[in-house]
Amino acid sequence: MKISFTLNKQAVTIDVEPMKRLLDVLREDFNLLGAKEACGEGECGACTVLLNGEPVTSCILNAAHADGSEIETVEGISQTELGKLIIDCFDETNAVQCGFCFPGFFISSYHYIKTDGEKDLNKIKTALSGNICRCTGYEKIFESVMLACERAN
Amino acid sequence: MKFIKPKDIENLYDTLDTTEQQYLLAGGTDINVQINNGIIRDPNIIYISHLKELSGIEETNNEILIGSTTSFKDVIESRIIKKYFLLMYNSLQNFASPLIQTSATIGGNIANGSPTADVIPILLALNAKLLICSKSNKREVPLKDFFTGYKKNVMKNNELITKIIINKNAEQKYQTYYQKVGSRNSLAIAKVAVAGIKKVVKEKIIDIKLAVGSLNEYPRRLFKVEEYVTGKRLTEIDFEKVEELLNSEITPISDFRSDKEYRYHVCVNLIRTFLNE
Repeated sequence: MKISFTLNKQAVTIDVEPMKRLLDVLREDFNLLGAKEACGEGECGACTVLLNGEPVTSCILNAAHADGSEIETVEGISQTELGKLIIDCFDETNAVQCGFCFPGFFISSYHYIKTDGEKDLNKIKTALSGNICRCTGYEKIFESVMLACERAN
Repeated sequence: MKFIKPKDIENLYDTLDTTEQQYLLAGGTDINVQINNGIIRDPNIIYISHLKELSGIEETNNEILIGSTTSFKDVIESRIIKKYFLLMYNSLQNFASPLIQTSATIGGNIANGSPTADVIPILLALNAKLLICSKSNKREVPLKDFFTGYKKNVMKNNELITKIIINKNAEQKYQTYYQKVGSRNSLAIAKVAVAGIKKVVKEKIIDIKLAVGSLNEYPRRLFKVEEYVTGKRLTEIDFEKVEELLNSEITPISDFRSDKEYRYHVCVNLIRTFLNE
Protein backbone atom coordinates (compact mmCIF):
# COMPACT_ATOMS: atom_id res chain seq x y z
CA MET A 1 0.00 0.00 0.00
CA LYS A 2 1.20 3.49 -0.82
CA ILE A 3 1.24 5.78 2.19
CA SER A 4 2.17 9.44 2.36
CA PHE A 5 2.99 11.37 5.48
CA THR A 6 5.15 14.14 6.84
CA LEU A 7 8.29 12.86 8.50
CA ASN A 8 10.26 15.40 10.48
CA LYS A 9 8.62 18.19 8.47
CA GLN A 10 9.33 16.59 5.08
CA ALA A 11 6.67 15.04 2.85
CA VAL A 12 7.41 11.38 2.14
CA THR A 13 5.66 8.60 0.23
CA ILE A 14 6.44 4.93 0.55
CA ASP A 15 5.07 1.65 -0.74
CA VAL A 16 4.84 -0.55 2.31
CA GLU A 17 2.93 -3.47 3.83
CA PRO A 18 0.21 -1.59 5.79
CA MET A 19 0.50 -3.78 8.89
CA LYS A 20 4.25 -3.29 9.16
CA ARG A 21 5.03 -1.81 12.55
CA LEU A 22 5.56 1.93 12.42
CA LEU A 23 8.77 1.43 14.41
CA ASP A 24 10.12 -0.87 11.68
CA VAL A 25 9.07 1.54 8.94
CA LEU A 26 11.07 4.30 10.62
CA ARG A 27 14.11 2.15 11.33
CA GLU A 28 14.23 0.02 8.19
CA ASP A 29 12.69 2.15 5.47
CA PHE A 30 13.96 5.54 6.63
CA ASN A 31 17.06 4.51 8.56
CA LEU A 32 15.93 6.56 11.56
CA LEU A 33 17.47 4.53 14.38
CA GLY A 34 16.62 6.83 17.30
CA ALA A 35 13.39 5.08 18.23
CA LYS A 36 14.30 1.75 19.83
CA GLU A 37 12.60 -1.53 20.46
CA ALA A 38 12.73 -3.00 23.95
CA CYS A 39 9.46 -4.55 25.11
CA GLY A 40 7.64 -4.50 21.77
CA GLU A 41 4.32 -4.24 23.63
CA GLY A 42 3.89 -0.53 24.24
CA GLU A 43 4.95 -0.71 27.87
CA CYS A 44 8.46 0.72 27.94
CA GLY A 45 8.31 3.78 25.70
CA ALA A 46 11.73 3.25 24.06
CA CYS A 47 10.00 3.52 20.66
CA THR A 48 8.17 6.81 21.39
CA VAL A 49 7.58 9.18 18.46
CA LEU A 50 5.13 12.04 17.93
CA LEU A 51 2.11 11.26 15.77
CA ASN A 52 0.21 14.44 14.92
CA GLY A 53 1.97 16.10 17.82
CA GLU A 54 1.08 13.45 20.40
CA PRO A 55 3.51 10.93 21.88
CA VAL A 56 2.78 7.31 20.93
CA THR A 57 4.52 3.95 21.11
CA SER A 58 5.48 3.16 17.51
CA CYS A 59 6.01 -0.56 18.20
CA ILE A 60 2.26 -1.15 18.42
CA LEU A 61 1.20 1.17 15.63
CA ASN A 62 1.17 0.25 11.97
CA ALA A 63 2.33 1.85 8.76
CA ALA A 64 -1.38 2.41 8.05
CA HIS A 65 -1.62 4.77 11.02
CA ALA A 66 1.07 6.98 9.49
CA ASP A 67 -0.87 7.59 6.27
CA GLY A 68 -1.86 11.25 6.06
CA SER A 69 -0.29 12.09 9.40
CA GLU A 70 2.63 14.04 10.71
CA ILE A 71 5.40 12.11 12.40
CA GLU A 72 8.31 13.51 14.32
CA THR A 73 11.18 11.47 15.69
CA VAL A 74 14.13 12.23 17.95
CA GLU A 75 16.21 12.94 14.83
CA GLY A 76 13.92 15.84 13.86
CA ILE A 77 13.01 17.18 17.28
CA SER A 78 16.60 17.26 18.50
CA GLN A 79 17.31 19.90 15.84
CA THR A 80 14.69 22.30 17.20
CA GLU A 81 15.51 25.03 19.68
CA LEU A 82 13.48 23.43 22.45
CA GLY A 83 14.94 20.02 21.60
CA LYS A 84 18.46 21.36 21.99
CA LEU A 85 17.56 23.02 25.28
CA ILE A 86 16.22 19.73 26.65
CA ILE A 87 19.29 17.78 25.54
CA ASP A 88 21.51 20.33 27.30
CA CYS A 89 19.51 19.88 30.51
CA PHE A 90 19.78 16.07 30.35
CA ASP A 91 23.48 16.52 29.72
CA GLU A 92 24.07 18.94 32.61
CA THR A 93 22.24 16.81 35.17
CA ASN A 94 23.91 13.59 33.98
CA ALA A 95 20.47 12.07 33.45
CA VAL A 96 21.50 9.65 30.72
CA GLN A 97 23.33 6.45 31.56
CA CYS A 98 23.18 3.78 28.84
CA GLY A 99 21.03 6.00 26.65
CA PHE A 100 18.70 3.33 25.25
CA CYS A 101 15.57 4.87 26.79
CA PHE A 102 16.64 8.44 26.17
CA PRO A 103 14.93 9.10 22.80
CA GLY A 104 11.63 8.09 24.40
CA PHE A 105 12.11 10.19 27.54
CA PHE A 106 13.27 13.04 25.33
CA ILE A 107 10.10 12.98 23.23
CA SER A 108 7.76 12.70 26.23
CA SER A 109 9.65 15.58 27.89
CA TYR A 110 9.50 17.68 24.72
CA HIS A 111 5.76 17.10 24.41
CA TYR A 112 5.18 17.99 28.07
CA ILE A 113 7.19 21.20 27.90
CA LYS A 114 5.55 22.21 24.62
CA THR A 115 1.97 21.56 25.74
CA ASP A 116 2.14 22.40 29.45
CA GLY A 117 5.63 23.10 30.71
CA GLU A 118 4.76 23.84 34.33
CA LYS A 119 7.69 23.09 36.64
CA ASP A 120 5.64 20.61 38.65
CA LEU A 121 7.21 17.33 39.66
CA ASN A 122 3.93 15.39 39.83
CA LYS A 123 2.85 16.53 36.39
CA ILE A 124 6.26 15.66 34.99
CA LYS A 125 6.12 12.21 36.57
CA THR A 126 2.73 11.61 34.97
CA ALA A 127 3.92 12.88 31.59
CA LEU A 128 6.90 10.51 31.68
CA SER A 129 5.00 7.57 33.16
CA GLY A 130 4.93 5.68 29.85
CA ASN A 131 8.72 5.57 29.67
CA ILE A 132 10.85 3.13 31.60
CA CYS A 133 14.55 3.50 32.45
CA ARG A 134 16.34 0.34 33.58
CA CYS A 135 19.51 2.12 34.71
CA THR A 136 17.32 3.45 37.60
CA GLY A 137 17.99 7.04 36.72
CA TYR A 138 14.53 8.56 37.27
CA GLU A 139 15.51 11.19 39.84
CA LYS A 140 18.05 12.74 37.52
CA ILE A 141 15.64 12.56 34.60
CA PHE A 142 12.99 14.41 36.62
CA GLU A 143 15.64 16.92 37.67
CA SER A 144 16.60 17.57 34.06
CA VAL A 145 12.99 18.06 32.94
CA MET A 146 12.40 20.43 35.89
CA LEU A 147 15.43 22.39 34.73
CA ALA A 148 14.22 22.37 31.13
CA CYS A 149 10.80 23.68 32.22
CA GLU A 150 12.50 26.54 34.03
CA ARG A 151 14.69 27.45 31.09
CA ALA A 152 12.03 27.05 28.43
CA ASN A 153 9.74 29.54 30.15
CA MET B 1 -4.02 -12.16 5.42
CA LYS B 2 -5.92 -9.28 3.93
CA PHE B 3 -5.78 -5.59 4.76
CA ILE B 4 -8.80 -3.51 3.86
CA LYS B 5 -9.17 0.23 4.35
CA PRO B 6 -12.82 1.10 3.64
CA LYS B 7 -13.20 4.43 1.89
CA ASP B 8 -16.19 5.46 3.99
CA ILE B 9 -18.64 4.14 6.55
CA GLU B 10 -21.01 2.60 3.94
CA ASN B 11 -18.08 0.82 2.40
CA LEU B 12 -17.14 -0.41 5.88
CA TYR B 13 -20.56 -2.04 6.33
CA ASP B 14 -20.29 -3.67 2.87
CA THR B 15 -16.83 -4.94 3.78
CA LEU B 16 -18.07 -6.34 7.09
CA ASP B 17 -20.81 -8.20 5.19
CA THR B 18 -18.36 -9.89 2.86
CA THR B 19 -15.23 -10.53 4.95
CA GLU B 20 -14.84 -13.67 7.04
CA GLN B 21 -13.05 -13.91 10.38
CA GLN B 22 -11.99 -10.31 10.43
CA TYR B 23 -10.43 -8.10 13.05
CA LEU B 24 -11.15 -4.40 13.23
CA LEU B 25 -8.09 -2.21 13.67
CA ALA B 26 -8.45 1.21 15.29
CA GLY B 27 -5.73 2.26 17.77
CA GLY B 28 -4.09 -1.14 17.56
CA THR B 29 -2.74 -1.17 21.12
CA ASP B 30 -4.26 -4.57 21.94
CA ILE B 31 -4.40 -6.29 18.56
CA ASN B 32 -0.83 -5.46 17.56
CA VAL B 33 0.51 -7.01 20.75
CA GLN B 34 -1.49 -10.15 19.98
CA ILE B 35 -0.24 -10.21 16.37
CA ASN B 36 3.37 -9.62 17.44
CA ASN B 37 3.12 -12.42 20.02
CA GLY B 38 1.63 -14.83 17.50
CA ILE B 39 -1.68 -15.11 19.39
CA ILE B 40 -3.44 -13.85 16.25
CA ARG B 41 -2.05 -15.29 13.02
CA ASP B 42 -2.72 -14.15 9.47
CA PRO B 43 -5.67 -11.96 10.39
CA ASN B 44 -7.99 -10.29 7.92
CA ILE B 45 -7.72 -6.68 9.03
CA ILE B 46 -10.32 -4.01 8.45
CA TYR B 47 -8.81 -0.65 9.28
CA ILE B 48 -11.27 1.84 10.82
CA SER B 49 -9.03 4.41 12.48
CA HIS B 50 -9.56 6.97 9.70
CA LEU B 51 -13.38 6.90 9.75
CA LYS B 52 -14.31 10.18 11.44
CA GLU B 53 -17.96 9.17 12.01
CA LEU B 54 -16.82 6.58 14.54
CA SER B 55 -15.08 8.99 16.90
CA GLY B 56 -16.08 11.97 19.00
CA ILE B 57 -18.36 12.67 21.94
CA GLU B 58 -21.89 14.05 21.50
CA GLU B 59 -24.52 15.28 23.90
CA THR B 60 -28.24 14.76 23.27
CA ASN B 61 -31.16 15.69 25.53
CA ASN B 62 -30.82 12.66 27.75
CA GLU B 63 -27.69 10.86 26.75
CA ILE B 64 -23.98 11.12 26.06
CA LEU B 65 -22.81 9.22 23.00
CA ILE B 66 -19.14 8.27 22.77
CA GLY B 67 -17.93 7.14 19.36
CA SER B 68 -16.26 3.76 19.57
CA THR B 69 -12.91 4.87 18.14
CA THR B 70 -12.65 7.86 20.48
CA SER B 71 -9.22 7.67 22.10
CA PHE B 72 -8.83 7.56 25.87
CA LYS B 73 -6.98 10.85 25.64
CA ASP B 74 -10.05 12.44 24.06
CA VAL B 75 -12.33 10.83 26.64
CA ILE B 76 -10.23 12.15 29.53
CA GLU B 77 -9.92 15.61 28.00
CA SER B 78 -13.62 15.89 27.14
CA ARG B 79 -15.50 18.62 29.02
CA ILE B 80 -18.69 16.61 28.58
CA ILE B 81 -17.24 13.56 30.32
CA LYS B 82 -15.84 15.69 33.13
CA LYS B 83 -19.19 17.45 33.55
CA TYR B 84 -21.42 14.38 33.66
CA PHE B 85 -19.27 11.39 34.60
CA LEU B 86 -16.67 12.24 37.22
CA LEU B 87 -16.40 8.54 37.98
CA MET B 88 -15.13 7.95 34.48
CA TYR B 89 -13.04 11.10 34.36
CA ASN B 90 -11.24 10.34 37.61
CA SER B 91 -10.91 6.60 37.11
CA LEU B 92 -9.33 6.84 33.67
CA GLN B 93 -6.60 9.33 34.61
CA ASN B 94 -4.18 6.48 35.23
CA PHE B 95 -5.35 4.37 32.30
CA ALA B 96 -2.25 2.62 30.88
CA SER B 97 0.13 5.52 30.14
CA PRO B 98 -0.13 8.84 28.32
CA LEU B 99 1.46 7.15 25.29
CA ILE B 100 -1.20 4.45 25.17
CA GLN B 101 -4.04 6.87 25.96
CA THR B 102 -3.31 8.65 22.68
CA SER B 103 -3.85 5.55 20.56
CA ALA B 104 -6.11 3.22 22.53
CA THR B 105 -9.84 3.54 21.89
CA ILE B 106 -12.80 3.06 24.21
CA GLY B 107 -14.58 0.73 21.77
CA GLY B 108 -11.40 -1.28 21.36
CA ASN B 109 -11.09 -1.78 25.11
CA ILE B 110 -14.64 -3.17 25.11
CA ALA B 111 -14.48 -5.24 21.92
CA ASN B 112 -11.14 -6.80 22.82
CA GLY B 113 -12.99 -8.01 25.89
CA SER B 114 -10.07 -8.62 28.20
CA PRO B 115 -11.15 -9.68 31.72
CA THR B 116 -8.88 -6.87 32.93
CA ALA B 117 -10.13 -4.14 30.56
CA ASP B 118 -10.13 -0.95 32.63
CA VAL B 119 -13.08 0.87 31.13
CA ILE B 120 -15.61 -1.97 31.30
CA PRO B 121 -16.31 -2.03 35.09
CA ILE B 122 -16.65 1.77 35.00
CA LEU B 123 -19.15 1.63 32.13
CA LEU B 124 -21.00 -1.22 33.83
CA ALA B 125 -21.41 0.90 36.96
CA LEU B 126 -22.78 3.69 34.76
CA ASN B 127 -25.21 1.23 33.15
CA ALA B 128 -23.88 1.99 29.66
CA LYS B 129 -25.38 0.60 26.45
CA LEU B 130 -23.65 -0.17 23.19
CA LEU B 131 -24.98 0.80 19.77
CA ILE B 132 -24.14 -2.10 17.50
CA CYS B 133 -24.58 -1.65 13.75
CA SER B 134 -24.39 -3.64 10.57
CA LYS B 135 -25.36 -2.74 7.02
CA SER B 136 -29.02 -3.60 7.55
CA ASN B 137 -29.50 -3.43 11.30
CA LYS B 138 -28.96 -1.24 14.36
CA ARG B 139 -29.48 -2.42 17.90
CA GLU B 140 -28.76 -1.27 21.41
CA VAL B 141 -27.28 -3.81 23.78
CA PRO B 142 -26.82 -3.06 27.49
CA LEU B 143 -23.14 -3.59 28.28
CA LYS B 144 -24.16 -5.94 31.11
CA ASP B 145 -25.56 -8.31 28.45
CA PHE B 146 -22.75 -7.90 25.90
CA PHE B 147 -20.26 -10.54 27.02
CA THR B 148 -21.02 -14.25 26.81
CA GLY B 149 -17.66 -15.74 27.77
CA TYR B 150 -13.91 -15.19 27.76
CA LYS B 151 -13.39 -12.70 24.91
CA LYS B 152 -16.78 -13.70 23.54
CA ASN B 153 -19.71 -11.36 22.96
CA VAL B 154 -23.10 -11.12 21.28
CA MET B 155 -21.87 -9.42 18.10
CA LYS B 156 -22.24 -11.07 14.72
CA ASN B 157 -19.39 -11.14 12.23
CA ASN B 158 -20.87 -8.26 10.20
CA GLU B 159 -21.47 -5.94 13.17
CA LEU B 160 -19.41 -3.33 14.93
CA ILE B 161 -19.80 -1.17 18.02
CA THR B 162 -20.38 2.38 16.81
CA LYS B 163 -21.27 4.17 20.04
CA ILE B 164 -21.20 3.82 23.79
CA ILE B 165 -24.34 5.39 25.23
CA ILE B 166 -24.66 6.61 28.81
CA ASN B 167 -27.63 8.34 30.40
CA LYS B 168 -26.66 11.86 31.41
CA ASN B 169 -28.00 11.32 34.92
CA ALA B 170 -26.25 7.99 35.37
CA GLU B 171 -24.21 9.15 38.37
CA GLN B 172 -26.13 12.24 39.45
CA LYS B 173 -26.94 12.15 43.17
CA TYR B 174 -24.93 8.93 43.50
CA GLN B 175 -21.79 8.32 45.49
CA THR B 176 -19.16 6.85 43.21
CA TYR B 177 -16.31 4.48 43.88
CA TYR B 178 -13.42 3.11 41.86
CA GLN B 179 -10.37 1.18 42.91
CA LYS B 180 -7.92 -0.56 40.67
CA VAL B 181 -5.27 -2.67 42.32
CA GLY B 182 -2.10 -3.17 40.30
CA SER B 183 1.61 -3.53 40.86
CA ARG B 184 2.51 0.02 39.92
CA ASN B 185 0.80 3.30 39.08
CA SER B 186 1.23 3.51 35.34
CA LEU B 187 0.88 0.72 32.79
CA ALA B 188 -0.58 -1.60 35.39
CA ILE B 189 -2.86 -4.41 34.39
CA ALA B 190 -5.43 -4.74 37.15
CA LYS B 191 -5.25 -7.60 39.62
CA VAL B 192 -8.65 -6.49 40.90
CA ALA B 193 -10.87 -3.57 39.88
CA VAL B 194 -14.08 -2.46 41.56
CA ALA B 195 -16.36 0.29 40.25
CA GLY B 196 -19.62 1.28 41.83
CA ILE B 197 -22.26 3.91 42.32
CA LYS B 198 -24.80 4.05 45.14
CA LYS B 199 -27.66 6.29 46.14
CA VAL B 200 -28.22 6.57 49.86
CA VAL B 201 -31.30 8.24 51.31
CA LYS B 202 -31.75 8.49 55.06
CA GLU B 203 -28.85 6.04 55.57
CA LYS B 204 -30.60 3.47 53.40
CA ILE B 205 -29.09 2.26 50.11
CA ILE B 206 -31.92 2.78 47.65
CA ASP B 207 -29.98 1.98 44.48
CA ILE B 208 -26.56 0.52 43.77
CA LYS B 209 -24.61 -0.65 40.77
CA LEU B 210 -21.48 -2.61 41.48
CA ALA B 211 -19.07 -4.01 38.90
CA VAL B 212 -15.77 -5.87 39.06
CA GLY B 213 -12.91 -6.58 36.66
CA SER B 214 -10.12 -9.19 36.64
CA LEU B 215 -12.24 -11.56 38.73
CA ASN B 216 -14.18 -13.45 36.05
CA GLU B 217 -13.94 -14.42 32.40
CA TYR B 218 -15.16 -10.92 31.65
CA PRO B 219 -15.92 -7.86 33.79
CA ARG B 220 -19.41 -8.11 35.27
CA ARG B 221 -22.02 -6.61 37.57
CA LEU B 222 -22.55 -8.18 41.00
CA PHE B 223 -26.33 -8.45 40.78
CA LYS B 224 -26.78 -10.68 43.82
CA VAL B 225 -24.79 -8.40 46.11
CA GLU B 226 -26.63 -5.38 44.68
CA GLU B 227 -30.00 -6.99 45.32
CA TYR B 228 -29.10 -8.01 48.86
CA VAL B 229 -27.93 -4.58 50.00
CA THR B 230 -30.63 -2.56 48.23
CA GLY B 231 -33.19 -1.22 50.68
CA LYS B 232 -30.95 -1.89 53.66
CA ARG B 233 -29.39 0.44 56.16
CA LEU B 234 -25.66 -0.03 56.63
CA THR B 235 -26.29 -1.49 60.09
CA GLU B 236 -28.60 -4.08 58.55
CA ILE B 237 -26.02 -5.45 56.13
CA ASP B 238 -24.59 -8.81 57.16
CA PHE B 239 -21.13 -8.87 55.63
CA GLU B 240 -20.90 -12.64 55.91
CA LYS B 241 -23.91 -12.79 53.64
CA VAL B 242 -22.25 -10.29 51.25
CA GLU B 243 -19.18 -12.55 51.11
CA GLU B 244 -21.31 -15.60 50.47
CA LEU B 245 -23.10 -13.88 47.56
CA LEU B 246 -19.86 -12.46 46.24
CA ASN B 247 -18.39 -15.94 46.27
CA SER B 248 -21.14 -17.10 43.94
CA GLU B 249 -20.53 -14.21 41.56
CA ILE B 250 -16.77 -14.08 41.19
CA THR B 251 -14.34 -16.76 40.04
CA PRO B 252 -10.87 -15.35 40.66
CA ILE B 253 -7.96 -17.29 39.25
CA SER B 254 -4.26 -17.53 40.06
CA ASP B 255 -1.92 -16.39 37.33
CA PHE B 256 1.45 -14.66 36.98
CA ARG B 257 -0.10 -11.38 38.13
CA SER B 258 -1.66 -12.48 41.39
CA ASP B 259 -3.31 -15.41 43.12
CA LYS B 260 -6.95 -16.16 43.68
CA GLU B 261 -6.91 -15.84 47.46
CA TYR B 262 -5.35 -12.39 47.25
CA ARG B 263 -7.81 -11.30 44.57
CA TYR B 264 -10.74 -12.59 46.60
CA HIS B 265 -9.73 -10.85 49.84
CA VAL B 266 -8.93 -7.57 48.12
CA CYS B 267 -12.28 -7.65 46.35
CA VAL B 268 -14.13 -8.30 49.62
CA ASN B 269 -12.30 -5.46 51.34
CA LEU B 270 -12.91 -3.00 48.51
CA ILE B 271 -16.62 -3.77 48.41
CA ARG B 272 -16.87 -3.48 52.19
CA THR B 273 -15.10 -0.11 52.00
CA PHE B 274 -17.48 1.14 49.33
CA LEU B 275 -20.57 -0.02 51.22
CA ASN B 276 -19.30 1.55 54.43
CA GLU B 277 -18.42 4.90 52.86
